[in-house]
Amino acid sequence: MKVSNDDLIKLYGNMWLIRMFEQRAADLFAKGVLPGFIHLGVGQEAFMAGTHYSIKPGDSIGTSHREHGLLLLLGITPGALMAELYGKATGSNKGKGGSMHACLPEKGALGCNGILGSAQTIINGYGFAHKVRKTGNIAVTIFGDGAANRGDVHEGMNLASVMNLPVVFIIVDNGYGISMSSKNSSVVTDLSARAAGYGMPGVTADGNDVLAVIEATSEAFKRAREGGGPSVVEFKTYRHRGHFEGDPTPYRSKEELEMWMKKDPILRLEKILLDRNVINEKQMKDIKAEQLAIVDDAQKFAEVSPYPEGPEGYGDVFYKYEGRD
Amino acid sequence: MREITVAQAINEALAEEMALNPEVYIFGEDVGDFGGCFGVTAGLKKKFPDRVMDTPISETGIMGLAAGGAYMGLKMVPEIMFSDFVGVAMDYLFNQVSKSRYMGGMQPKGDVCGLVLRAPNGAGLTAAAQHSQCTEALLMNIPGLKIAIPSTPYDYKGMLKYAIRGNDPVVFFEHKMLYGVKGSVPDEDYVVPFSSADIKLEGSDVTVIATQVMVHKALAAAKKLAEEGISVEVVDPRSLKPLDTETIVSSVKKTGRVVLVNEAPVFGNALAEVGLQIAEHALHDLKAAPLRVCGPNRPIPFTPALEKQWIVSEEDIINGIKKVLG
Amino acid sequence: MIGIIANPSSGKDIRRLVAQGTVFDNMEKVNIVQRILSVIYASGLRDIHMMPDAFHISERASLNLKRSLKIDVYVKLLDIKFSDDQNDSTQAAELLCKMGASCIITLGGDGTNRAVAKACGDVPLITISTGTNNVFPLMLEGTMAGMAAVVAERDRERQYLVINRRKRINIYKNSKFIDIALIDVAITKDMFIGARALYHPEALHELAVTVAKPDCLGMSAIAGSVYPVGENDPHGLYLEMGEGGELETWVPMAPGMMQLIRFKHYRKIKINERIVVKADEGMVALDGEREVPFTKNDNIEIELSPFGPNVVNIHKSLTAASRGGFFIEKDGQGLTKAESYSFYMNNNKEE
Repeated sequence: MKVSNDDLIKLYGNMWLIRMFEQRAADLFAKGVLPGFIHLGVGQEAFMAGTHYSIKPGDSIGTSHREHGLLLLLGITPGALMAELYGKATGSNKGKGGSMHACLPEKGALGCNGILGSAQTIINGYGFAHKVRKTGNIAVTIFGDGAANRGDVHEGMNLASVMNLPVVFIIVDNGYGISMSSKNSSVVTDLSARAAGYGMPGVTADGNDVLAVIEATSEAFKRAREGGGPSVVEFKTYRHRGHFEGDPTPYRSKEELEMWMKKDPILRLEKILLDRNVINEKQMKDIKAEQLAIVDDAQKFAEVSPYPEGPEGYGDVFYKYEGRD
Repeated sequence: MREITVAQAINEALAEEMALNPEVYIFGEDVGDFGGCFGVTAGLKKKFPDRVMDTPISETGIMGLAAGGAYMGLKMVPEIMFSDFVGVAMDYLFNQVSKSRYMGGMQPKGDVCGLVLRAPNGAGLTAAAQHSQCTEALLMNIPGLKIAIPSTPYDYKGMLKYAIRGNDPVVFFEHKMLYGVKGSVPDEDYVVPFSSADIKLEGSDVTVIATQVMVHKALAAAKKLAEEGISVEVVDPRSLKPLDTETIVSSVKKTGRVVLVNEAPVFGNALAEVGLQIAEHALHDLKAAPLRVCGPNRPIPFTPALEKQWIVSEEDIINGIKKVLG
Repeated sequence: MIGIIANPSSGKDIRRLVAQGTVFDNMEKVNIVQRILSVIYASGLRDIHMMPDAFHISERASLNLKRSLKIDVYVKLLDIKFSDDQNDSTQAAELLCKMGASCIITLGGDGTNRAVAKACGDVPLITISTGTNNVFPLMLEGTMAGMAAVVAERDRERQYLVINRRKRINIYKNSKFIDIALIDVAITKDMFIGARALYHPEALHELAVTVAKPDCLGMSAIAGSVYPVGENDPHGLYLEMGEGGELETWVPMAPGMMQLIRFKHYRKIKINERIVVKADEGMVALDGEREVPFTKNDNIEIELSPFGPNVVNIHKSLTAASRGGFFIEKDGQGLTKAESYSFYMNNNKEE
């Protein structure tokens, strides 16, 4: 497997962008600036950056509620995403979706579905459209160990397989569905094993190693692009923060968190970059500073943006409505 | 004008829209070579082999496929074999297609989200309580969803074509007992827009608002009452969402009396909303309190003896009309 | 005491995507362990120690046996802190060795056995394959593994138990011993460990094997396609691959995947011979898994060693036991030709 030095540096920057954006969101939420609730992907940057690396223009990617980071990489500007978290009119969804539903369909960034499991049937529609229109693109759906237990996921996997759709099911096992350990929510520890029941391949890879993620996604995506049909790729990772901001995480031990902090995906890539002399400490600092500036700008943009108001804020329900409400 | 059945009208609408738009897809359980459980899609698979697809028994899977395809701009026309099964696929109606344009998250932009779910309603086949219901009331309280509920071959064809040409999610309720009912349908292309309540019979003493099979029963009742000198106006809303309040209210203003007839259980019935709209807009024109003539608040019995009693009859409608006339 | 190490993460790597590898479900590993435990239980033995793991293979197996056969097999969990990686197997093997286990049953692939072999000392292994491209462990029914374990436990004089000492390869980085391989060491041009499993033969630069089998998959099959070498041969094979080679052979590289492999040359490696790797940078893959990255500044050496793990020959051991009357019931008195033991002995203090 080969990834160029330039790409390695880009991956590193992308992972820092995600982490800094998420950490800023955490700070803003703690200060009471951000409304609603918010789920952060700190610790899960590798699978986002790696998956993004394997995606091609035109692909459709449905994320889960913890993947703001991937949305940033897919093309939602940090400003538009931050403004959406604020509920501002300049947000990616004009402030109507919020943290969980930020999206940019024209870039293939479909955002998240608030109903866990439903996106894994809807993704088939995207895959189906790519198939019948012969776009050569694929549809990728990302969901967690929790959502994996919804019945819809099984109907979705079966239908994708029966129709041989260009769909890849990415399961992100980050250890917990809110407070329930994934070890208790399913007796199958590697959820990729379920793929066998639908006659498709399933693999489990290290979700904290961006290069393992790239390898697994590029093979699965290639298979789907070439008409080989759907597959399941499972990444094992860990969220450093709680399920939502403010979650006191009484369900997990300090030792467990520490064990995973040692597997921090950014540190692991850093080690590779240093070992291979791809960049030095000084360049790393510069990259971090660059990403921090982007996040600062995003926050400023969101702060000065107006809130939506009037009929516009309630619009976009129907394409055309023949009656009066 | 030629006469065809409701089933033929639906079949024609589907065939014509598929011929017109290469991105119309029909799918569901047994809709292919089998032609659908009620024969409605018969012959379509032969005409459009790649665009009429049998699916496994997976109502949520079907609705997910429909939603995703619609978001991508395809015209998805899934069938759910019995409208009783909307419960199984409810999330897609309740949380997905109805919310996606407004909220974002797989958000359709512009002229996409053409999704028409065909769902057969109704009792009368002694199919017991899980295959006989009229479920439109369940969907009334969902912003972002349109509900069509036609009664004649002309309306079925025109409204289905209109729905498929639109870019909004529609639940298109068919009624199993109407599939064989014949009516006039023109040869030429036409559509029937939503929010266009149709006065099926003009009258002056009382307005009957009825849907689907009840439209036909109301017309028969009106015919009998005409012999007694009672003039009944029968209004078919045709779509419950959007609702053509204007036509309904002006009819009630004219007659001063209203009977609301729907097959589903009376409590929380879809026409309760119509009744309240009338109260809001024409309270002072009413000469009597509105009356609901709907199904009992009980599951639909299997046995023919009891099922027949369960379904609102022509006689029930006549009694209701007489009651509001005092 | 009998030890069991079942690796919950074997059998799920990327070869399911790039070849037709099967997913080895953990429930099947639980089933195999149940069969092993029932056999050991039937023999009257109660002293069994298992590696703990996140999937709780041993707990599930014990619970299932309680529910279905109404038996309590008294499996004890080894006191190790597991971290869900191959280090768990090494730790477990080390502890079992210290505790004086008579044998260790392993469920896993070449990778799992490599991890065990690092620390199991002379304790003989009974290997059951649950991995992907396995050369080291056998495709073996759990029942037989259980029977062999009972022989190993009872037959301390080694009248019946047939054990073979396997070869191994030692890896040195800058003259420091860092790791071992049981079957193969591949030097590849991969830059990263990534998804670990080796599946791109075009990245291969050099290869050293302890055994070269034409009737298996992967690295050993490459060597086996030109010069077969058996477990007991006093040599291994070293090959240089890639462009410029004249010889091409067809090799089953992964399940269902025949590929053309080009060689520059190959030769035998003698026991204790040390070879300096030619590639100046890349990856050292051990038993099919990318493990050790190295750069231009590193010096990698490989050495064929005769001191690999002891492995039980199941067929020969059970045959010898049968000939010795091991399976003949003696009313739980354990009197045999050897006059001291047989398969069933009721000499347990019930717990």
